[in-house]
Amino acid sequence: MQFQDSGQACELIDMLTVLLMSIFAGFLGALTGLGGGSIMIPVLVAFDVPVKYAIAASMVTIIATSSGSAASYVRERITNVKAAFYLEMFTIIGAIIGATITSFIRPRFLYFFFAAFLLTSFYGLSGRMREDFPKRLRQDRFSKWLELKGSYYDQAVRKTVRYKMTNAHLGGLGMMVAGLAAGMLGIGAGAFKVSIHELILKMPSKVSSTTSNFIIGITALAGASVYFASGLLFVGLAAPMAVGTTIGAVAGGRVLNRLPNRFVRYLFLVIVFVLIVQMLYKGIALP
Amino acid sequence: MKRIPGEEKLELAISYILIVGVLLSVAIEAVGIVAYYSSNRNLSIVFQPNLAMSGADFFGYTNSVIQGILLGTWTPMQILALGIILLMITPYLRVVASVIYFGFAKNTKYLFITLFVLVVLTASLLAH
Repeated sequence: MQFQDSGQACELIDMLTVLLMSIFAGFLGALTGLGGGSIMIPVLVAFDVPVKYAIAASMVTIIATSSGSAASYVRERITNVKAAFYLEMFTIIGAIIGATITSFIRPRFLYFFFAAFLLTSFYGLSGRMREDFPKRLRQDRFSKWLELKGSYYDQAVRKTVRYKMTNAHLGGLGMMVAGLAAGMLGIGAGAFKVSIHELILKMPSKVSSTTSNFIIGITALAGASVYFASGLLFVGLAAPMAVGTTIGAVAGGRVLNRLPNRFVRYLFLVIVFVLIVQMLYKGIALP
Repeated sequence: MKRIPGEEKLELAISYILIVGVLLSVAIEAVGIVAYYSSNRNLSIVFQPNLAMSGADFFGYTNSVIQGILLGTWTPMQILALGIILLMITPYLRVVASVIYFGFAKNTKYLFITLFVLVVLTASLLAH
């Protein structure tokens, strides 16, 4: 492993710059369910922070982003905690494997993986912008055994939405892949998790993004534990990021339930598009 | 649609663990950043291998940071590290809370599910 900047002070940014940028990233990250990390990594590499350091710091930061807004979603009972407990078994295994891969892989690959990964989530959601709430469905036996159902009060449409989930076995496998990508790229992989929740498990949009948010904290801890052991974790970078993203994420969490599902989706699509372009550019421009 | 009434209590407990853990760690990190500035007169981010969080396993590292702070030999970097440690412990604690809850609720299914998560995380934090 080698880092072009190792042993030097980062010239382009300091803790204050990181703090301010993170507030904005945290706000957008919470609204879209992307998490502040996937927005901050492309920003940090644009300022010449070595990509592995950015990934490791982001991984820790995500714990704050996730937990800060998850706290209010869980209390408002939008999050389905049982689904989260079941699914995080898979994401933590994936995250540990993913973070281990990143500790050894060449940095250039990470830019392309980052872009490619975001691309998959972009396609997953853009195809079904109209369907807001899933219709009644029959649960398979395994999903029923796992008690995967729930209800929440949706402020945008002013009614209680009841729902059941299905395909728990496939959902688990999908979440393992999501965890792998999350651990590898230092992101929450919220985009991918939301796609799995909605397309495979058939969760309603808001349950899906808040449950994904909740799972991200544990997945990030699993990844962070590997980066900690690999010596890639720098507190000077992680601390201001964590402070900034948390402030932004709490603010974003307060706004989310008042927004229509469709607006949340469009915002998500626009941000994902910008991030893909930035990482592709960085990967190609790398000397 | 029925829900076990106690599940709301778990959700409330989780919610408190998350919010208290995050607020406390963010507060400590903010203090750490101020302490860093007052001792260095700048806020530059230095990437030096010996400044990375490492050494022993996570629990051993945590122990050394806490000892440094208790003995009064702390550095601003250790305050920042303490904030990050607290942040990492926060989701860990909510898993512990869930294991305890499902143990008391005699929900074997979810006891094993949450216990699995706890064991894997503990093992990963012990590695170095």
